[in-house]
Amino acid sequence: MTKPTLELVLKRNSVERLKREKSPLGMLDELPALIAAGYEEVPEEDIVRLKWWGLYHDKPKVGTFMLRVKIPGGILQPEQLRAIGELSLLYGRGEAELTTRQNVQLHYIELKALPEVFERLHAAGLTSAGACGDTVRNITGCPVAGLAQGELFDARPVVEEAARFFYGNPDYSDLPRKHKIAITACADACAAPEINCIALVGALHDGEEGFGVLVGGGLSSVPRIARELGVWVPKGQAVEVLAAILDEWREDLRYRVSRVKARLKFMIDDIGPEGMRARVEARLGRRFDDFSLPPLPRPSNHLGVHDGWVGVPVHLGLISGDQLVALAELGHEARITRQQNLVLVGDVDVDALGRIGLPVDAGALRGDAIACTGEPHCNFSVTETKTRMGALVQLLESRFDARQLEGLRLHLDGCPHACAQHWVGDIGFQGTTVRDQQGRRQQAYDVYLRGGLDRPAQIARPLFRRVPSEELDGLVVALVGGWARGRKEEESFRVWCERTSDGELAQLAGREIRVGRAA
Amino acid sequence: MSVELLDDLEAGELSVAFEGEEPDALLEWALERFSPRIAISTAFQADGAVLLHMAYAIDPDVKLFSVDTGRLPQETFELVEQMRERYPRLNLDLLSPDAETVRTMVRRHGPNLFYRSVENRLLCCQVRKVLPLQRYLGGLDAWITGLRRDQWATRSDIRKVEIDHDHGAIVKLNPLAEWTEDEVWDYVREHDLPVNPLYAKGFTSIGCAPCTRPTGAGENLRAGRWWWEQGAPKECGIHCAIETGGLEHELRALVGDDR
Repeated sequence: MTKPTLELVLKRNSVERLKREKSPLGMLDELPALIAAGYEEVPEEDIVRLKWWGLYHDKPKVGTFMLRVKIPGGILQPEQLRAIGELSLLYGRGEAELTTRQNVQLHYIELKALPEVFERLHAAGLTSAGACGDTVRNITGCPVAGLAQGELFDARPVVEEAARFFYGNPDYSDLPRKHKIAITACADACAAPEINCIALVGALHDGEEGFGVLVGGGLSSVPRIARELGVWVPKGQAVEVLAAILDEWREDLRYRVSRVKARLKFMIDDIGPEGMRARVEARLGRRFDDFSLPPLPRPSNHLGVHDGWVGVPVHLGLISGDQLVALAELGHEARITRQQNLVLVGDVDVDALGRIGLPVDAGALRGDAIACTGEPHCNFSVTETKTRMGALVQLLESRFDARQLEGLRLHLDGCPHACAQHWVGDIGFQGTTVRDQQGRRQQAYDVYLRGGLDRPAQIARPLFRRVPSEELDGLVVALVGGWARGRKEEESFRVWCERTSDGELAQLAGREIRVGRAA
Repeated sequence: MSVELLDDLEAGELSVAFEGEEPDALLEWALERFSPRIAISTAFQADGAVLLHMAYAIDPDVKLFSVDTGRLPQETFELVEQMRERYPRLNLDLLSPDAETVRTMVRRHGPNLFYRSVENRLLCCQVRKVLPLQRYLGGLDAWITGLRRDQWATRSDIRKVEIDHDHGAIVKLNPLAEWTEDEVWDYVREHDLPVNPLYAKGFTSIGCAPCTRPTGAGENLRAGRWWWEQGAPKECGIHCAIETGGLEHELRALVGDDR
């Protein structure tokens, strides 16, 4: 592959042009002028640049925005919970949602409110710099870092150091595309390192604390499981190594010609982890020790009452401004989890949580179920998401007892972007549409099986396609019932699916596998 | 009997594989794989002319379709006649909106409803353009569009192969995704393709007669279509082509679902 010129990059890629014409990070200073001119006059390029401050158009695109607040490792102090809750109540119609990257998102924010919103956000020590756009997105970590019994070491200082270095750093805010980093040293590497662009996975090597490195993971439309870089990175060198990998990628113009092939995973496709290792070592002028991660146990959700913390399901990740303020009143540090739940730190009054509408015993199914933002806010989604997942969860709870559903992970997305990681659910759902007999549009779902984040992590396949929403309940009950009856001891849903043939699954479901349309 | 179609995993990998390849390579693969249940969508703009020319060379029986909304300018039909001369086997379907639905809309809102509100304009787009398109796509396994990344920043990551979840999960192919406006016009000149006479009259965007007008030098492109509107969806504007699916998302949010 020949090296492209900058001229070619700018010819082929309008976002590269847009970033060079004016730095998106400067948009905050331009807000007063944009507001004075009025929403109608805001150039569409500036709407794109606002993403760098965590702003996306809500749907319809007529003047209100989603704001994504970036929270390193998902850790929030009580006063920050309160600040976000108040923002929601004042500017966001009292709604908020927790995300799979440990962010909080608000909706319905008007352009004219943005200066006040940012002032309050910054006063609370929070930021949205680089929450969207071609940046280092929120750096995720284990939500019980520093609390869990079996953790290798407390990785919070590394998460904080990386966030301080990358967030809002102009050199890392003009990346070829978005970039996702996870840093975890919990015993079961719960932060889904396999689906991040780079993951630092805590380990011990000759008694020293540090990390094994995974590179090139990611989901979206072209999913990849990350591969091992094969090196040992001492804790103190973590950020330097992250930056070196990012530098190799961001300085290589081959990954700026087309946004379809811009993510780090495509560079790893091209040069392999060994190629990346050689480049990083050449750049830093030193060799790293060889290192492979030991086998990892299945990632946990950290829910339930523990010594030193309580993990509480937040159904569908939906939380109100009132609930956020009420949580702040309880005075605990909070951590957002990858499964869109909350961990509260300290000696927590579980009854008080129940009174806020966050019962600890809501059930593992509720805690593990993930659905993307979707309807009514997101411009990409073609189906209901959180509401449909809510209905599925209720249905399963009514048909099976909680014990049977333990460990079942449902992931539902409204489009191929895979914000809710449907590629790695026990049962993944992706929204699509079909036409009914009268030719009317009907919501439907592709159903993904045999994937998951249990080790080794694996990408699922859409085994049942275009299942009309009305028929989805029956299919899910049949599959879960088949597993509940047929599982051997504690066999997980995925393992059961893997040893059950296509024919058996089709028979259970009462529909054909992977079939298109009638010809 | 049923046909197995691409799934998202396969489409994603194909979209990466076709990056950097010429448009004809994708057209050749797609026509081989999906004929006869595949068609090219055209709005009689320059991109449509390029696609037709390339595809016709591969298979002169390739299907082309467009929606005759009932409000198209005369010049567009002049172009159709030129195309019929240039491509003797031209296999063009001009779709019509449902007469009854149009009659109801016009009785209720009048013929020029679109000038009165964004909702009215979207309703008109839905009745005259989107519904006929949706019906037609129901009979296809794949469709080919002229969408390009340089048309607008929010289209910068258009894939050449994708599953169209707005339209029954058929395959959508965007062979010109990587091309620039200049490359399209260079191709048009090089092959002396027939183009809409409206371009010569200062139009930069070709659509329905009442909703498009020529733009002057230095004038914003947005001035060429729906120039009277306030409060219309952004990031869509002039280039909110029917092919993106984005128009339908806004429609459902602002006008309501069609089911």
